[in-house]
Amino acid sequence: MRYNRLCLWMMLFCLLMGSVTAMAQNEKRITLDVTDITLLRFVEQIEQVSPYRFYFDAAETDSLRITLKLDKASIDQAMQLALQNSVFQYAVDEQNHVYITKKYRIQTALAPDFFDKKKITKDPVAEPILVLPGTDADKDKLKASLEKKLFEIGPRTNNIGRGNAILTGYVKDIKNGEALSGATVFVDTPAIKTVTDQFGYFSITLPKGRHTLRINSLGMKDTRRQLIMYSDGKLTIELEDYIASLKAVTVSTDKRSNVRSTQMGVDRVNIRTIKQVPSVLGESDILRVVLTLPGVTSVGEASTGFNVRGGAADQNLILLNDATIYNPSHLFGFFSAFNTDVVKGVELYKSAIPEKYGGRLSSVLDVSTRDGNSKKLSGTGGLGILTSRLTLEGPINKEKTTFILGGRTTYSDWVLKQIPNSEYANSSASFYDINLNITHTINPKNSLYLTGYFSHDKFKLNSDTLYKYGNQNAILKWKHIFNNKFFGVLSAGIDRYDYAVSSDIYPLNAFKLSYDINQTHFRTEFNYNPNNKHSVNFGLHSVYYKIHPGSFQPTSAQSLVLPDKVPEEQALESALYIGDRYAITPEFSLNAGIRYSLFSNLGPHDVYNYLPGSPRTTGSIIDTTHVGAGKNVKTYSGPEIRVAMRYSLSANSSVKLSYNTLRQYIHTLSNTTAISPTDIWKLSDANIPPQRGYQVSLGYYHNFSQSIETSIEVYYKHMDHYLDYKSGAALVMNKHIETDVINTRGEAYGAEFMIKKTEGKLNGWLSYTYSNTRLKIDDPIAGETINKGNYYPANFDKPHNVNFIGNYRFSHRFSLSLNAVYSTGRPITLPIAIFTQAGSQRVYYSERNQYRIPDYVRADLSVNIEGNHKIKKLAHSSWSIGVYNMLARQNPYSVYFAQEGGVIKGYQLSIFGTVIPFITYNFKF
Amino acid sequence: MKKNHVIIVTCLLLVISGCRKPFEPPAIRADYNYLVIDGVINAGTNAVTTINLSRTKNLNDSSIAPKPELGAQVTIEREGGGSFSLNTQNNGSYTSQALNLSATAKYRLNIKTSNGNVYQSDYVPVKQTPPIDSLSWKQDSVYHDVTIFAHTHDPQNSTRYYRWDFVETWQYRAPIEASYGVANGLSYFINPFDALLQQYNCWTTTASTTIATASSEALSQDVISYAPVNIVKQHAEKMMVRYSINVRQYGITKEAYQYWQILQKSTQQTGTIFDPQPSQVIGNIHCITNTDEPVIGYVSVCTTTEKRLFIDYSQLNNWFFKPSGVVCVTVNSFQNPVDFRIINYPDTTFTIYYYTSGGGLVLTKKDCLDCRRRGGTNQKPSFW
Repeated sequence: MRYNRLCLWMMLFCLLMGSVTAMAQNEKRITLDVTDITLLRFVEQIEQVSPYRFYFDAAETDSLRITLKLDKASIDQAMQLALQNSVFQYAVDEQNHVYITKKYRIQTALAPDFFDKKKITKDPVAEPILVLPGTDADKDKLKASLEKKLFEIGPRTNNIGRGNAILTGYVKDIKNGEALSGATVFVDTPAIKTVTDQFGYFSITLPKGRHTLRINSLGMKDTRRQLIMYSDGKLTIELEDYIASLKAVTVSTDKRSNVRSTQMGVDRVNIRTIKQVPSVLGESDILRVVLTLPGVTSVGEASTGFNVRGGAADQNLILLNDATIYNPSHLFGFFSAFNTDVVKGVELYKSAIPEKYGGRLSSVLDVSTRDGNSKKLSGTGGLGILTSRLTLEGPINKEKTTFILGGRTTYSDWVLKQIPNSEYANSSASFYDINLNITHTINPKNSLYLTGYFSHDKFKLNSDTLYKYGNQNAILKWKHIFNNKFFGVLSAGIDRYDYAVSSDIYPLNAFKLSYDINQTHFRTEFNYNPNNKHSVNFGLHSVYYKIHPGSFQPTSAQSLVLPDKVPEEQALESALYIGDRYAITPEFSLNAGIRYSLFSNLGPHDVYNYLPGSPRTTGSIIDTTHVGAGKNVKTYSGPEIRVAMRYSLSANSSVKLSYNTLRQYIHTLSNTTAISPTDIWKLSDANIPPQRGYQVSLGYYHNFSQSIETSIEVYYKHMDHYLDYKSGAALVMNKHIETDVINTRGEAYGAEFMIKKTEGKLNGWLSYTYSNTRLKIDDPIAGETINKGNYYPANFDKPHNVNFIGNYRFSHRFSLSLNAVYSTGRPITLPIAIFTQAGSQRVYYSERNQYRIPDYVRADLSVNIEGNHKIKKLAHSSWSIGVYNMLARQNPYSVYFAQEGGVIKGYQLSIFGTVIPFITYNFKF
Repeated sequence: MKKNHVIIVTCLLLVISGCRKPFEPPAIRADYNYLVIDGVINAGTNAVTTINLSRTKNLNDSSIAPKPELGAQVTIEREGGGSFSLNTQNNGSYTSQALNLSATAKYRLNIKTSNGNVYQSDYVPVKQTPPIDSLSWKQDSVYHDVTIFAHTHDPQNSTRYYRWDFVETWQYRAPIEASYGVANGLSYFINPFDALLQQYNCWTTTASTTIATASSEALSQDVISYAPVNIVKQHAEKMMVRYSINVRQYGITKEAYQYWQILQKSTQQTGTIFDPQPSQVIGNIHCITNTDEPVIGYVSVCTTTEKRLFIDYSQLNNWFFKPSGVVCVTVNSFQNPVDFRIINYPDTTFTIYYYTSGGGLVLTKKDCLDCRRRGGTNQKPSFW
């Protein structure tokens, strides 16, 4: 439905000013006999036997009970009888519309001389409009009118038939026409619910007849639509931004999605929340907000690698519009790779991972980007202490095609040069990234989506060695709607991550070490909604990997470096999946899915065969098998089960249970506890089996009032074939990595508590997580056991975590955000004794991870100041001012022991060891 | 603009440099007492093998000297029979007679400590070490530190893994060249050309404290070029006159190389955010009587080669010596009326500088006149 807003206001005005009372004509006679029914039932019965159509607020009138007997009564007689002794008034217009209002009677016609005074060339469309008394803001009136308007879906029929009809459509942002994904579209009775997909599309099957359709979306004002379903039809719903009103907030419907949804262990964060959280140096950072969610931890604050429920950092699948991002960090990990001006929202799946995702053991982080403003060309940008960003977006041709192009860069390189300290004279650091999205609607049934991402990092930190790395991704999606019940998305794309390390200070050793991973992927995804009880997903997902695990090349003519190359690896990973979301009863619903994955490591490859049963060392290689190009080196396959169920205990509480099994065929090799850009991704092969794991989790969800959500989730997770390293393992340019890694068995368990306030002037969340992650070496061919084969804590095991994020909005222009974090220190291996060897005192270390670094405590504060809200303005701007690490606590990132002049000294290193003030200027035009 | 500039720089400094402060581990007070074996079985001609045995100390033990293991019986055992015992020096050091070990045999070390525990290394093949081709040095452009490099090659391409240690000797001078010395309270005249009495030029010798290893694994030939052996930091007195380093090269096995690498990684690298995890070093020596008891050390059997390098102060650029803080103040006094040679000034840190006519005596700090007071010897080494 499209309105000419001006016209609408005119009409409202006119209706109020009108002085002629509408007289009902062509009265139809009504015969009825009803006892103690609601007004809703009453008017339904009248609608069935007469041409009258009623407009009123069902909620307002639900206390009214009607008992009467009519025999060929006129509409006036019927309504007078029905509404006698009540506060309600009625009016009937010439189109047989009946308006029931509280206290005030509506005027249904204009003053006779009205059109002579005002030149309105356009004939106002006779949309049924209710005028509400009071002095609310104009927008509220519009919203209220849309909410009270009755939408007729399908061609109107006198008798509403039996059976179901399907309503499809899009949920969009009213401001810029952006599709809203993850919005909940539901009716209360019967309880039917659906969620919009990544394109904002929904399909809901409803019994024919009258419904109140409710629409909730994170960060947007809730709304509802009054519908009469005659048959299948379409409806586009536009939502407004949620902005807390200065007056008492009255507009609100129930937020029950966390209670109602079958999904568990899913956290959604919208971009507004992300931007409110105080950040390092004022640059909003998705990953830092993700780190505040229950169950998510990090080994250190300068690292954007994260650990989900006791999983390693490489067990997270990080997707940007379905493109895999292998390194989500910039500038030693101080910034994440995602430009917040382009991002729409983030979803993190921690336990019930949908069957359409696979290939990683712990979690899926799904970052979705915006399509771009479809209404006008606009831009956003920001200037910070270290970085700047600019985003442009707009329609290309009349809302059919939109684009969004965003870029970020840093001037840290220039800043480093300004530091008057020779320590940094030899340092440099820089990065940039570019995002591009193009959305094209071919016709209502076909749409195309193109996403491109490019990032580049370069740094040299006080040494002669230069590091470079970058991500490159491109993905094209085609969405086709077959019919109201069935649609599909076909996508194909390429992902690449590469890094290079080079040094040329000594000509004889000048070298360049390079690494890259490439994947080409293809995906089909179908969604079939046969009726309101089932929603079926199925598809095929295929990835072809090509890895150049290491190339070591001389870079000068004199260089003695022998060109070396670790043989390429290639593999094909395919998976077929099917899943069904089945609403068995309104209380009980089930998501069940299965994913069957097949992984083949492909030749050409030389496979080392080791002496069976003895530790794998280069000495135990007995022979080598050459596998030709395209031939299978090794195939692994297996089913992955994804089950989640929800039982509603009441309208405000539910219990959920999920069980997942997962397989991972690609592993990160890194001997450091933080993700470093030089980590190696290795495919499973004949000697390295895939990681496998399962997770069981149970959750209880309760909503206390309309905006307070609480949840408790407990989980147990088991991992097999997780890779840990032998002492002093050499990973770079290693052609037989299996001799340096050890298969470990891991288990993790924990409980997560969360309380969240989603609306109001004060909003935010508080979460507490207890977790425990332990590893155990039980690989008979390891050759060495870590900690005598007993369980030991994983590097990222942090039992207690408390996170608080709060935002208080004093006014539309001024808000204050506080972020506080507490976590147990991570485990370390401590020195336990001193010995003297090779002329110097040295340390003897304890068993692995037997001690912990001090606990981590941090609080950040920021103030966001928006410019004035005048609509006609060249650019809207805002300032973000704050302090990171307000308590100036020197949280140890790492603890290390170094030998200095023959004596062992212990040090702790803090990355942000003091209060760091920041200021960022953001603008929008 | 100026102000912004300052803020940016401050923030970045805080961010990048981070913050480092001492860390005192709270947990570790237990008395671990593991055996530590340090030394190489020397397979050269008429070569003496020295093995040092000590015990680990607690972390809060601030003493520098190792805790020697006394009264152990140490033997070198040849695979297939034959053994040579080492004699105790009663300081934890055990030395052999001059031995000529077979280049083709394998040897191991047997230790029986006074508490009855028996320790044994694996059998190790004998490695022949090629000569050091040359030593070179270079000053880096930023700090002007001097790095000393070793260059070597093995025409047989069979050594591949190398370790170096070294002995440094440097010449330094007293601030003032003394004309008089004092013996038994009496002064005597020093002829500046008297090599035995002069106390202006001194020489100090120390052994290496760092681990230097390299491998030619990744190269087509067994050639080592620019392997850093030692770094002399800017401002060190070592380079103020003349510096010499005698580098000893060991050809080692791959396993020994890995052991030294782990040891080097765990204790010698400075803390950066990309550091690998420290790990327990596991050598090739085991406790036979208690298999759970960790033993520290790696026994290698090899020949050794050596080379010496000299660096003169005049060859350096931008080498600045930071004075030690000794101020050479002078004090005027009187000659002893009985015998002008008697020097008995109450402040014993002062000694005679020179006599003045009319019975005067000028004194100054002993540290200013006698270079030996800072640990060196005034006897020029034979190789100098």
